[in-house]
Amino acid sequence: MPSPEILKDLTNIFGPERCKTAKEDLLTYSYDACIYEFLPEAVVFPKTTKETAALVMLAAANNLFITPRGSGSGLGAEALAKKGGIVICFSMMNRILEINRANRFAVVEPGVIISDLQKAVERLGLFYPPDPGSATVATMGGAVAMNSGGMRGVKYGVTRDYLLGLEIVLPSGEVMNTGTITAKDVTGYDLTRLICGSEGTLALVTRITVRLLPKPKTKRTLQVIYDSIEAAGDTVSNIIAAGIIPATLELMDRMIIKALEESAHLGLPLDAEAILLIDVDGDMENVERQAAQVAEFCKAQGAREIRVSASEKENEQLWTARRSAFGAVARLRPSCLIEDATVPVSVLTTTINKVKEICARNQVQVAVLAHAGDGNLHPLILFDQRDARELARVEKSMDEIVAYALSVGGTLSGEHGIGISKAKYLPQQLSTPSLRVMRTIKKAFDPQGILNPGSFLDWE
Amino acid sequence: MIISPELKEQVYHCIRCGLCLNSCPVYRQLCFEGASPRGKIQLIKKVLEGQLEASDHFGRLLGTCLLCETCSVTCPSGVKLDRIMKSMRAELIKTFGVSWEKRAVFHLLSSSHLLPFMMFWGRTLENPLRLLLPQRGRAGTIPYAKIPRLNAKPLIHQFPEVVTAAGQPKGRVLYFVGCATNYLFENVGRSLIRLLNRLEVEVIIPQEQMCCGFPICLAGARTTALKNIRHNLDLFDPQKVDAVIVDCATCGAALKREYPQLLEEMGEEKAAAAARRLAQKVLDISQYLARFELAQHLKPLTGKVTYHDPCHLLRTQGIKEEPRNVLRSIPELELIEMEGAEVCCGGGGVFQLDHPELASAITAKKIQTIRDTQADMVATGCPGCRLQIHGNLEDDPVEVFHPVELLAKAFS
Repeated sequence: MPSPEILKDLTNIFGPERCKTAKEDLLTYSYDACIYEFLPEAVVFPKTTKETAALVMLAAANNLFITPRGSGSGLGAEALAKKGGIVICFSMMNRILEINRANRFAVVEPGVIISDLQKAVERLGLFYPPDPGSATVATMGGAVAMNSGGMRGVKYGVTRDYLLGLEIVLPSGEVMNTGTITAKDVTGYDLTRLICGSEGTLALVTRITVRLLPKPKTKRTLQVIYDSIEAAGDTVSNIIAAGIIPATLELMDRMIIKALEESAHLGLPLDAEAILLIDVDGDMENVERQAAQVAEFCKAQGAREIRVSASEKENEQLWTARRSAFGAVARLRPSCLIEDATVPVSVLTTTINKVKEICARNQVQVAVLAHAGDGNLHPLILFDQRDARELARVEKSMDEIVAYALSVGGTLSGEHGIGISKAKYLPQQLSTPSLRVMRTIKKAFDPQGILNPGSFLDWE
Repeated sequence: MIISPELKEQVYHCIRCGLCLNSCPVYRQLCFEGASPRGKIQLIKKVLEGQLEASDHFGRLLGTCLLCETCSVTCPSGVKLDRIMKSMRAELIKTFGVSWEKRAVFHLLSSSHLLPFMMFWGRTLENPLRLLLPQRGRAGTIPYAKIPRLNAKPLIHQFPEVVTAAGQPKGRVLYFVGCATNYLFENVGRSLIRLLNRLEVEVIIPQEQMCCGFPICLAGARTTALKNIRHNLDLFDPQKVDAVIVDCATCGAALKREYPQLLEEMGEEKAAAAARRLAQKVLDISQYLARFELAQHLKPLTGKVTYHDPCHLLRTQGIKEEPRNVLRSIPELELIEMEGAEVCCGGGGVFQLDHPELASAITAKKIQTIRDTQADMVATGCPGCRLQIHGNLEDDPVEVFHPVELLAKAFS
């Protein structure tokens, strides 16, 4: 609990409604979409950059810890008050400030929900491509802090690729702008892209300018059904190798198919070993041609059946179901950890098999989902958090999966970030000089260490 | 504890993915976690684990819920959030009791004599009383002036117990007349009976029927509601009819789902079995009408109508297309879909009385989507939604109807 003086100052800045300290309220800010819990001492909700700066100045003057948060859909405690202190939640700072058609950019506040921005720009014939599975939950501020990727990564890249500029509040309380609204910008260090993916450890993002694309004229969703997961995995590697670039290329195994079918009743084939969900987009002619090309390709790789969605509504249902995969498998067991080790796409199949082997050996239940085109695996590990022995087996499996991914040239985390769940693996991927440079950068931004303490660089 | 072991275990299946957050009209408005379904479930978990006291503030947070069930249908883990929430509300009532105002209302609704008695005096005194009300006053979000007048005579008393069809009846139904139709919206009941009569269906209206009890349950006063439930189960024998017809989304939800579930949760196995038998025969009027070729009977009705999905029809009963089909069957009537027809109107029964500001902010969005369609009529199969939408339409000339009212108008 903050001291009465601090509390008074907080209430002065935010008013009583937007400064919460009751135990019930604090408990609801103690978690994200992962298994960890840390109780903050207060939660505040800024509506302006000025309020945000005022909070940071108060925190700097009193050495208070502050941790930024959006919707709390993170998967590694990045937005939790790991060392206590104040959570600054941007959910109420959620206006779309500008959608500029002439120069194709949009300016938003950090609390805007990603899918709300997508819908708003699509109404104007524009397109914001980054599409994480949690797009209907997560905020733009969270997406910037975590550099979220998602399902369209294979063709369109990730959040970082769409950032033009940011307004940030430094841990000193100063307000600073990075980037421009122009498509090209090489003036100085690229601080925009440094803040992006910094997991809320360098600065608070209060305004975001993103680049937009013209909306693809049409798209087609193919559901490709396989009798073996190897054939599905090989198809993915071969599609990429052949130079075909679908908009999305998602792989799901038998257990995911079953869970999705149980939750959404889409008529997915329950006897299939794997399904690839493939989107092709562009103008009509191109889409027709590409869809045929992909379908033929998949057939040649041993696909059992190819279903093409008949309508936009069917597309929508399929992707809505895919978005809920994380939750849907939680029907099977109470807890679910979602891994995101990412490997070069050429070794996708061997990695999937390795993951399955590791989990089987450790007697851990696993379902495999992947943004396959990116080599971005999402093994969903199922367990019951209340069972300590099972939890230990889960941790051991994670250790082995990470070690394997790194051994084939992959990365610890493709898109979920490090937070505290992967902090212990950091030295396995980052060299001593690399960690030193990162810590020096952190110091340059936040010499007092008040912003999001206990994060990936200093978690013990 | 009223929370069943099954529901308790469900709490652990919430993996906190957050998909429910932005589906929740209340969270969308308030934007803090305690108002979200995920937040509430996590707090309930803490209470069940004994880590948090079921405090006043906890109760308040739990109260900021429309019970629109959007979270339950969105939840990929299949957590039945609305059921957990209802159980917890019932639990809280044991600790904190019910406010005197609500106690009075529930007492009325659960009494077979008091309700008609009060309604009689309400009618008799209504006009002089209205003059005494402040002109700009509101009941919750609804201006006094936009509260509909009570029926001159309860609908049940306007018809004989059995409304026979001319000749050999083509069907026989029991009609469960909800309180709203009985006391407020007589035209809905009249339209329904007239339609069925013209379709040569015999309509039986048990004169002793009581309030379905759902509004009482929703607020958590389950034991009070039991009386109504038992009485209605005794009165409605599904065996001798083709269907038990309802014209109210909430009554339908009660008879089809809430009766069996609630009785099971309360361990009333015998009554639950009777409730399950009844539930199989219950049909919303829009479902029952789908059995008939309506087109041949209908004359054109010009105008533009938009349809609002009541929570208790769409989510509780899975009824989406049937009421739209009723509207589509009317020649020349143009059905325009509003954006987000499935989003709760913000009424939520007594929610709008408890949280007028919040409710009116949610309703304002609904009203805007209605205005955007430029329709001159809104159709909806729930009297609660009807009151809420009509009450918040301000000076708009848009009128709100039950689909059967429009159908009856077009019936030649």
